Amino acid sequence: MKALTVLAADEFKAPGLELFELPPIISGVTWFTKPVLLALLSSLVVVLFCWSAFGNPKLVPRGIQNVGEYGYMFVRDQVARPFLGKDADRWMGLLLSLFFMVWVWNLMGVIPFLQFPVASHIAFPIVLAGTVYLIKIYLGMKHQGPIGYFKNMMFPPGLPKGIYVLLAPIELLSNMIVAPFTHAVRLFANMFAGHIILAFFSAVGFWFLFEKLTPLGAPVGIVSVVMAIAMTGLELFIQFLQAFLFALLAAMYIGNSLHAEH
Amino acid sequence: MPAMSEQERRPEDDGRDFANAAWSIPSYILSGIILYGGGGWLLSRWTGVAVFTPIGVIVGVVLAIYLVYRKYGR
Repeated sequence: MKALTVLAADEFKAPGLELFELPPIISGVTWFTKPVLLALLSSLVVVLFCWSAFGNPKLVPRGIQNVGEYGYMFVRDQVARPFLGKDADRWMGLLLSLFFMVWVWNLMGVIPFLQFPVASHIAFPIVLAGTVYLIKIYLGMKHQGPIGYFKNMMFPPGLPKGIYVLLAPIELLSNMIVAPFTHAVRLFANMFAGHIILAFFSAVGFWFLFEKLTPLGAPVGIVSVVMAIAMTGLELFIQFLQAFLFALLAAMYIGNSLHAEH
Repeated sequence: MPAMSEQERRPEDDGRDFANAAWSIPSYILSGIILYGGGGWLLSRWTGVAVFTPIGVIVGVVLAIYLVYRKYGR
């Protein structure tokens, strides 16, 4: 970054945190910013998609129902069944919504003109992860009893007696604080970093090809544009992966609350 | 009532165990580091002996890995 700043004598400024500080869309309504608008739009997209895919199902699926069923089967076979077994079908509504919701949030990062990944504001992943966390604790206490839940969590069977003193605190901290924290942060950090990387390569390309076009600078600009395109491809993959992981971890937490680990 | 009895154990539980272990490891290791590394850091502050912090971190990681091994390893 430093080297670039020196090369472009009058101040190339790398994009930074200001990318995420967006003004209200309607002045005066401070809560209504771009991420909020995109989150609302995403909800609408997911609802409309599921409605048109599953609202009037045919025995032989065609068109959008086909696409929807692919998504459903993916979530069921890769996310729900491995962790929930015979309970999988009961939780498909939540898991499918989570998966599609997070994926569309993330996709907003590469859709031209919208170009802002909703989850790069950590409040959004916190709400989803927090909801899953509450569900997890509620189900754990319901299915294992309020005391049994913590007992099963902190004292997994099969360990030598004395060692519980050392390991029980790790279990408690891991399950109650670190797990929900990383659940939200993993999604947030990936989207945040991805957005900065895309903005950086685009900014460098724009600077060297349009703002300060020089024979020496042009190749740097071209490399940068190529990188921006390549990174967009990588982002598409990461966006899908993070949506998948988010739903997968939700399924895992729910599964562990329904049946104690052993 | 809570813990699953032996008869209830189905073959697919083994796959579930593996996935559980794989996704729990980072969280356990992080917890081990925070807990015992933090304890070591406090000990270092009180005693002035700097070496307690890295010892605590290592003990935390070892305990976390041991926990995962005993829970899922066999």
